[in-house]
Amino acid sequence: MEYLLHILILIGIYTILSVSLNLLVGYTGILSIAHAAFYGVGAYVAALMALNLHTPFLLNLLIAVIASGIFGALVGIPSLRLRDDYFVIATFAFQIITFTILNNLVDFTGGPLGLPGIPQPNIFGFEITTHIEFLILVIILTGVTFWISNKIVKSPFGRLLKAIREDEVFVKAAGRNVSDAKVKVFVINASLASVAGVVYATYITYIDPTSFTIMESIFIISIVIIGGSANLKGSIVGSIVLVALPELLRFIGLPNSIAANIRQILYGALLVIFMLWRPQGFLGEYSFGQKPLVNGKKPE
Amino acid sequence: MNFQFLINLLILLFQYSILALSFSLIYQVIRFFHFAHAVVFTSGAYFAFLICVFWGCPLLFAIPLAIICSTILGCLIELLIYKPLRKKRSTALVVMLASLGIYIVLQNIISMVFGDDTKSIRTWQVVEGINVFGARITPVQIIIVVTSVLLLIFVAFYLHSSKTGKAMRAVANDPELANISGINSNKVILTSFAIGSALAGIAGILVSLDVDMTPTMGMNALMMGVVAMIVGGVGSIWGIVLGSLLLALAQNLGVWYISSQWQDAIAFAILLIFLLFKPEGFFGKKLKKATI
Repeated sequence: MEYLLHILILIGIYTILSVSLNLLVGYTGILSIAHAAFYGVGAYVAALMALNLHTPFLLNLLIAVIASGIFGALVGIPSLRLRDDYFVIATFAFQIITFTILNNLVDFTGGPLGLPGIPQPNIFGFEITTHIEFLILVIILTGVTFWISNKIVKSPFGRLLKAIREDEVFVKAAGRNVSDAKVKVFVINASLASVAGVVYATYITYIDPTSFTIMESIFIISIVIIGGSANLKGSIVGSIVLVALPELLRFIGLPNSIAANIRQILYGALLVIFMLWRPQGFLGEYSFGQKPLVNGKKPE
Repeated sequence: MNFQFLINLLILLFQYSILALSFSLIYQVIRFFHFAHAVVFTSGAYFAFLICVFWGCPLLFAIPLAIICSTILGCLIELLIYKPLRKKRSTALVVMLASLGIYIVLQNIISMVFGDDTKSIRTWQVVEGINVFGARITPVQIIIVVTSVLLLIFVAFYLHSSKTGKAMRAVANDPELANISGINSNKVILTSFAIGSALAGIAGILVSLDVDMTPTMGMNALMMGVVAMIVGGVGSIWGIVLGSLLLALAQNLGVWYISSQWQDAIAFAILLIFLLFKPEGFFGKKLKKATI
């Protein structure tokens, strides 16, 4: 039972991560591989505050969201000017730099040893310690994230994002501020990702930099892409499939060392297969466009 | 600052040059980031390890065979994944995502088959380096530098003068116009993949001869190549050498004055500075604003 609850909590955490990334990847058509960095910023800010200042959970959550948003703005404002593949490389660079900082500032972040003994959440005197209590907390936070994201997507701002995705130059010509909208959505995506980090840090009560690597970023991207870009429900489906499916491998009796590899091979292969035959994912609506026809003909 | 510093700089410089060259040969004609190139690089080292240590063949026989295997791997990725995607008129983002997927699959296959620990093809005794003006350089490092210089000169010459080289530059410049002039762009792309993957395989073997191999060594190495390429400017061999020089210099100075842990951060900070202020690099063509 504990095990099942653990899986459900993980699914919740990954739903927060993938829904927030979907705003950027699916709705705005911008690919970022720095999502795990924001996830990590959230986790480390909350953990450091709880450990050093003994501040309450909700304040930590708030500060983590703000800090991650500011970090998002610092990353986004300069690099969102770049075209798509150069932007991907820029976010790659930010991801690596964040990891290096977390790993090397040993006095501050504990370096590779991580931060052990993070206190569990205490909300107005109510201690959250058991799995079932955590599950309720995760469901509430996932619900809030989903609700906010859904509001954004349905709002005029959401339609602006979709318009930017379809034809950026046209939106510019229509007098809208494209770069401003891009920065806003990037900041939102960063802030929401940090929520997942805060939950993760207080749930596991231990964090180290290896939870926030580039591979984690790629895993979250896979959830978004396979679940469906530009469909928030798709991200929930994607999280369930990609988190729960590898757990089934345990029951076949694969040794743990191989199971980790099989899990990655599974989602890597799914990513390639979906790109070849269904780039919009299970439930998605956006397939990253197509190149224009050359003189009305397909290129050879 | 002494002579050892210069030698370390030289070794890193040529390692990065070959990596950047192998990546940029492919990038020029396909115009998306072929992340799976990282695993082609790693595969060179592991094919050599497989042939040399598992099957007990001599190293001089294993190395060419391993290079051929990496070349085939690179070409298969192009033929089985990228070419069908091109036919569907997929955008750069879709192909990039697919290439991340390929990278994950192949890297995990390598670590499943060989294990995550460090492997070595060095069967010989580790010898003390040769003393040159008070600095130490091992024979393997001399081989790395000499091979890299020869390869750079050869590829530069080949691209400049041969018909295939010209066709490659034509496709890099304007694929549509190249097609109209009767150049088969698919064939040219395949050739670029073959040459680029062979170079990546060679680089993988050379690096593994010097510092051994792990399944994840590819991504970091590839990113150093990418940084050198962007800093130097896409499509220029001198740019690549200059970019590698800047990167190697910054990293070596970083090791000298700060500590070796910050090498990656230094490299990527340089990349960011260039991306933000001079995205076309030292020698690249000025790009139109819309294409940056």
